Amino acid sequence: MGWVARRIGVSLLLVWIVASIVFLAIHLVPGDPAELLLSSGGVAPDPGAVAELRDRLGLNLPLAQQYVSFLSGVVRGDLGTSLVDEYPVLDEILLRLPRTLELIAAGALIAVLVGIPAGTLAALRRGSAFDRIASGVAALLLAVPVFVVGTLLVLVFAQILRWMPAGGYVPLAEDPWRHLTLLALPALAIGKGLVAVVFRMTRASVLDALSRDFVRTARAKGLSPSRVLMRHVVRNALIPVLTVLALHMGTLLGGTVLVEYVFNWPGLSTPLLRAVEARDYPMVVGIVLTISALFVLLNLVMDLVYAALDPRIRHA
Amino acid sequence: MRPGTKRLWVPAGLVALIVLLALLAPLLGLPDPVRQDVAQRLAGPMPGSPLGRDEFGRDVLSRLIWGARSSLAVAFASASIACLFGTILGLLGGWFRGLGEFLAVRSMDIVLCFPPVLLALLVVTLLGPGAGTLIMVLSVLYLPGFVRVTYAEVLSARSHDYVEAVRALGASAGRILTRTVLPNVAGPILVQFSLAVASAVVLESGLSFLGLGVVPPAPSWGLMIRGARATMAQAPLLLLWPCLALTLTILAMNLLCDALRDAMDPRTATARPRLRLLDRVLPGLVPPAPNAEAPEAVLEVGGLTVEIATPRGPIRPVEDVSFAVHAGETLAIVGESGSGKSVTATSVMGLLPPAARPVAGAAWLEGRDLLRLPEPELRRLRGGAMAMVFQDPMSSLNPVHRVGDQIAEAIRAHRRGVTQAQAWSRAVDLLRRVGIADPERRARAYPHEMSGGMRQRVMIAMAVANEPKLLIADEPTTALDVTVQAQILDLLAELRRETGMALIFITHSLGVVAEIADRVVVMYAGQVVEQGSVPEVFGAPLHPYTRALLAAVPDGDTAPAGIPGVVPQPHAFPVGCRFAARCPHAKPACEAAPPALEGAGEGRTVRCIRWAEIGAKKAEAVA
Ligand code: SF4
Repeated sequence: MGWVARRIGVSLLLVWIVASIVFLAIHLVPGDPAELLLSSGGVAPDPGAVAELRDRLGLNLPLAQQYVSFLSGVVRGDLGTSLVDEYPVLDEILLRLPRTLELIAAGALIAVLVGIPAGTLAALRRGSAFDRIASGVAALLLAVPVFVVGTLLVLVFAQILRWMPAGGYVPLAEDPWRHLTLLALPALAIGKGLVAVVFRMTRASVLDALSRDFVRTARAKGLSPSRVLMRHVVRNALIPVLTVLALHMGTLLGGTVLVEYVFNWPGLSTPLLRAVEARDYPMVVGIVLTISALFVLLNLVMDLVYAALDPRIRHA
Repeated sequence: MRPGTKRLWVPAGLVALIVLLALLAPLLGLPDPVRQDVAQRLAGPMPGSPLGRDEFGRDVLSRLIWGARSSLAVAFASASIACLFGTILGLLGGWFRGLGEFLAVRSMDIVLCFPPVLLALLVVTLLGPGAGTLIMVLSVLYLPGFVRVTYAEVLSARSHDYVEAVRALGASAGRILTRTVLPNVAGPILVQFSLAVASAVVLESGLSFLGLGVVPPAPSWGLMIRGARATMAQAPLLLLWPCLALTLTILAMNLLCDALRDAMDPRTATARPRLRLLDRVLPGLVPPAPNAEAPEAVLEVGGLTVEIATPRGPIRPVEDVSFAVHAGETLAIVGESGSGKSVTATSVMGLLPPAARPVAGAAWLEGRDLLRLPEPELRRLRGGAMAMVFQDPMSSLNPVHRVGDQIAEAIRAHRRGVTQAQAWSRAVDLLRRVGIADPERRARAYPHEMSGGMRQRVMIAMAVANEPKLLIADEPTTALDVTVQAQILDLLAELRRETGMALIFITHSLGVVAEIADRVVVMYAGQVVEQGSVPEVFGAPLHPYTRALLAAVPDGDTAPAGIPGVVPQPHAFPVGCRFAARCPHAKPACEAAPPALEGAGEGRTVRCIRWAEIGAKKAEAVA
């Protein structure tokens, strides 16, 4: 139990660090941040507007006071309001976060459902046609950027074959079937890189597990091949796969920004991109903070699952 | 040419070609990539524009090549900056430790708290889009990779003797770092650099695609894809070209990274034999009939020969090995490492590695030839009628399952209808039987929570769980403390006495043989060289190798003599007597032809053409 508590403590610490960095970022930029945010194309902004923005962002207060009020805002769930339309940042996030989470979950599910069996099979049939083709496909999938995959999926399935809509979103409650069709392509795009990563890691760690002494022991016990495979090979091989999955969470979360853009999926990235373009600083900070906290949280979950799978960790 | 070399040069050539094209873009006489010509909007291939024109009538080929230029410029610039600062930070952190270490290395963890795209977007919000912003963000993102690699390398270099030596000579820190540490770090840094460049190309194109990277109208692959999306229906090719260029570039870079990493790490670069691990078929040679003279033998091995396919051709680590073991008897197989004793045992169990297979002989257990039994039937025997205990109990137990479960699993694999609860309580009984105190609690423990001796007791409990007729113990005490060794030997002897099972004990230690075994088989270089009852063989060894082994045992008054030379490798076995090179009695006749295994009295055999002669001489000398 102590280990879990410590791990959660570390996660909270990380979230605090992330929040502080996000807060400091605006102050680390040389020059007046308000002026910077309002400037475009080298034209000096209106001094009145700059003064007003400084006031809005509280930039006139002492740094320590700004920091405290920022942090207390974060803790209370008050992330300020949009510079563009005064809409509370938190409300926007709460509306859109579930949609982004759904996309991530669907992508990860595809990656695990395809990557682990394929990786295991490729390891068992090392050097076979299947192994070579699957490894080649994995290398290709790793190389194609996520937005290229997304765009090509739209081109093929929506434009040429006309099997699926090019993008959009319908709430699950309204039309479940259409919701799922609209989810399919973005989830595939999100899952593509992860599938390749999971496949490669599963293949390598199954190969490693197969050569372990305890697998020989399992065979010496007279266990059936399927039981040796599931309980002693795949079960042990999953542990490193999970570590790698955790390492790629950042890429996954970054990928959602691009995929949501390509497929018009109204997750967090739409307001994020709009805000970045409009230099809507509170909105950007709120969303970046949310996604980074999500990143830390996902890593925490991975670690906990990891500990559940590997008893050696819990005592370390 | 090594197989790895091709893997390195093909992608390297491709990457070099792309870089060269980008560098030479101004010299190629391409049309201006930003000049618009609305009249030629979305025009197909035409003279001067082999790939046609884009949505503003700009030349596509020219934009592709110039796009490579901007992508690669951003990628190389950011990777170089990250490389420079990261290496310096890593060097300082690794060398000075303390606060410097904390600042240089731990601060990098902060960067890793952010998903990369998000950090980039945050900075773009503040500074506005553009190549300069991109380079800055990307160099920050790749900094941690370089810091970590360099830091780790410096730490390991610090402990190397040569660095210690120059340090002792009074060289300054700066001098040591640049002269001795940097060259060692070069390899990993190169790998890291190629990873950073590949990843920067991906991120740059992604941000440009979002309209937040390279600013239009400058050509960039990401921007081209962004632009072509709008006209996807009319001109799908416009979309395909930049996608293809981008994917190909990243693929080549990834392959180069993999190849570089393999080249730096020789462990992964070894040629991998193509083998199927599970569906291995045994060859169907006609088995010799079981020996009718000794029907009560539990296991009878005759003429066993094992062949391993290696890149240098097949080798035979075990050749023509025969022995028998009876109920309630302990047979020791003794020999130096490389003598083939473990291969013999694993082939009896049907657990040979996939590259190895028995090519001749037979192994009879309960009237069935183990070498030719189909895998499903063999599986019923393994862990049932025959069981095995391995050398290293730590690696032989699965670290992620409770030991009670691992024993219960062995029981349930062989007894239908046994519930998990019944199997568990039987597992607890077995743990008690092998002398583990508090077995109820211990059954719930994981292997890493036990001592080495306790783990080996668990292995033994697992092996005897289904009352085997034959137990093979392969060096079961070698990995254990001396004090524990004796306890494990006692346990095995006791179990054998109680259950009447046959025990094959594989060891390199003659002391252990004397303690536990009734009969002994001495193996050398894949062959049996002498066989007989323990008192007889120890009392009057016939083969020069057995004599040498016995002489090498420290038994109080004689110092261990050791046997000069080493066991020959299987691919270099001599034609004649395999011991000839180390034998004090070797004659030219010994090397001419392989000596046969001769009978030498009741239950004794020996493989030496001069055994009688040598024996007589010894007797004379004593008299
Ligand atoms: S055959 Fe010759 S070389 Fe071989 S052991 Fe006997 S005496 Fe030595």
